Amino acid sequence: MKKLLALVVSVCLCLTAVSALAETVLRLGIYPEDVDVDTVKVHETVFDPAFAEAMPDVTLEKIYYKYAVDTFVPMAEAGNVPTIFQTWFTEPQKLIANGFVRDITGQLEARGWLEKMAPGVRGLMSDADGRVYGIPRDAYALGLMINAEVFEDAGLVDEDGIPLYPKTWDELVEVGLKIKEATGSAALCLLAMDNAGGWHFSNIAWTFGANLEVQDENGKWLANLNSPEVVAAMQYVRDLKWKYDLLTSDPVSENWGTGFAQLGTGAAAMYIAANDAVNQPTSVQGLPVDKLMMVAIPAGPAGTFALGGGTPYMFAANATDEEVEAALKYIEIMGKAPVVTETSKQGLIDDAKYRVESGIPVIRRFSGWIDPDFIQAELDVIAEYANVDPRMFDHYFDTAAATLRLEEPMMTQDMYAELTKVLQEVLTNEGADIQALLDTANANLQAVLDENVNR
Amino acid sequence: MKHTLRRDFTAWMIMLPGVILFTFFVWYPLVMGTRLSFYETKGITTVAFAGLSNFRAVFSNPDFWPAVVNTFKYCLWSLVIGFLAPVALAIGINEAAFGKNLFRVSVYIPNIVPGLATVFLWRFLFRSGESGALNMLLSALGLPMSSWLSNGAIAVPLIVVTMTWKSAGATMLIYLAGLQGINPELYEAAIIDGAGVWGRVRNITIPNILSLGRTLLILQIIAVFQILYEPLVMTNGGPNNASISLMQMVYRYAFDRFEYSKASALSVLVSVILITLTLVYNRTTRSKAA
Repeated sequence: MKKLLALVVSVCLCLTAVSALAETVLRLGIYPEDVDVDTVKVHETVFDPAFAEAMPDVTLEKIYYKYAVDTFVPMAEAGNVPTIFQTWFTEPQKLIANGFVRDITGQLEARGWLEKMAPGVRGLMSDADGRVYGIPRDAYALGLMINAEVFEDAGLVDEDGIPLYPKTWDELVEVGLKIKEATGSAALCLLAMDNAGGWHFSNIAWTFGANLEVQDENGKWLANLNSPEVVAAMQYVRDLKWKYDLLTSDPVSENWGTGFAQLGTGAAAMYIAANDAVNQPTSVQGLPVDKLMMVAIPAGPAGTFALGGGTPYMFAANATDEEVEAALKYIEIMGKAPVVTETSKQGLIDDAKYRVESGIPVIRRFSGWIDPDFIQAELDVIAEYANVDPRMFDHYFDTAAATLRLEEPMMTQDMYAELTKVLQEVLTNEGADIQALLDTANANLQAVLDENVNR
Repeated sequence: MKHTLRRDFTAWMIMLPGVILFTFFVWYPLVMGTRLSFYETKGITTVAFAGLSNFRAVFSNPDFWPAVVNTFKYCLWSLVIGFLAPVALAIGINEAAFGKNLFRVSVYIPNIVPGLATVFLWRFLFRSGESGALNMLLSALGLPMSSWLSNGAIAVPLIVVTMTWKSAGATMLIYLAGLQGINPELYEAAIIDGAGVWGRVRNITIPNILSLGRTLLILQIIAVFQILYEPLVMTNGGPNNASISLMQMVYRYAFDRFEYSKASALSVLVSVILITLTLVYNRTTRSKAA
């Protein structure tokens, strides 16, 4: 009996050990959703076979996971977050502070990727000790999207049909008045429904010379929402609404998604947006691919700035070293890592082909990596598959790259919330006292900074 | 004790599934949520005892007092608009000479529309500018257009109209059941005594549904006090916090900022307010009844 028992125990232990050795499962939370048939096909025919060849011992679990703040914490607490997932640049600090993501500094060092990451982007995904928790999928910079059809209808195009776009906020008013008179369309769709309103406004305020958060000599963070520059920027917004009537009918009900609908359908001629969302007005809202233009944010008294952000890949806190290695390999195969191989080049080509077939502009991107070989490889693919006139995007890329500025660093979403409240009041109440509203917003943000940052 | 347990064994066995489910889904989360409000947390894992600091942080949040005021406004407007509407509908349908079933079904239909569909529908109706359905109607009638939900002064009552449209039908059915339980001989006697419609309503109908009305009133206050998705979707609490509710703040703490301890602290405060209101209401109505 004893012998039998010992045999059973030994067999069980061996089976456990064998399964533990063999089973590395990559829970790939960046797989496209089923309805995105073309992209799924690219994964199934190109990326998955290449991954199977490169890492035959790893089982691939394909998961479509869209990061959502209201479902993430329960998943994380239950240990169900996919090995790799994508989120937004505003999230890493929150995820790191709560221990929901794992440190991958060692893996990145071993691959030589740390030095190839843009320093600003790296900072967003690092903790106070400089440990890195994610890698960039791509980055974005805010610019001004233009519906060229509306400009054509208003006669605001040059002899080549390129829209005569505004380079300053004053010019935006001039152009906007002509558009309104000729077409009836709103000149600009400005957001004020949620924090996206404050997000866009912060970029406008920078061009008026504002610094929305500053640090004193003791390192204490101070809110700076009621400076004369912010007041001037808010006054400009007020004029757009009440003096010139150039905005869509109800900015307070406009959010990121409705803004693209207004632009794509021609209800608005211009909209502040980023290069990573060029599919929205085109393939989603139906604007022909050659009728979308992007230019830099119009300049104010302090010049122009392009607010930068993006999409990072992050890794579940309970992911093992082997799983992280597997995930990084898959990213490399997809052409999203700073590595130029035949497979990664193929990844870039397949992405470009998909864009051409779907009517999405094939344009440059802000990759988040600064490896020159990788950037050149990407530019080569874009040149080969370009489906738009580069002049429609040149001003944007040339200017944005030189004026890129990362979001204000501390309690950013709270700052956006405070600015959005002021925007809502200014856009719904013609007699709103801008200075008083911004004083309140400043006091509110300072309280939040004192409670969460300056302790 | 032993004897009592043996005697009631069957009853306990019948109750057991209910007790287990309540413990797991109601009582345990309730206790844990309260505990969470006194701790510093990482996600929903407690890190260190924090005393009352979460409550202090909630009180000092600039959105807290606007949310408190608005939540009471929602309750007040729901009493003005939403409390009497189902009573009136129930009495009207009960008194209807024909088409009772048709009216009953018609009034109830909004209740089976999913909540989010309802608020999206009304958001479209209330959209300001020329593309809003109600503004198109006003424009066709030659009347000036309104900014509807973008007007902070009327955002709360408009949201309450939406809630009433959706839920009045269900409450109406409860009142209707109450009305149909009234002995018809009372009405016959009143008619013989020369009572008109208003006389019958005042002297027979209202006294007979009064206790039902009291219960539904407190249930309505409890439900409206926890209003969340209507302002979240229709106005996101704006403009300039004109429609933000306490539960929307809880949502923001928990899901926008992952600050579950503060979300729990605010939830505890909401519970305390509701328990106080219920006790005061019960005491007042009991003393009146006595």
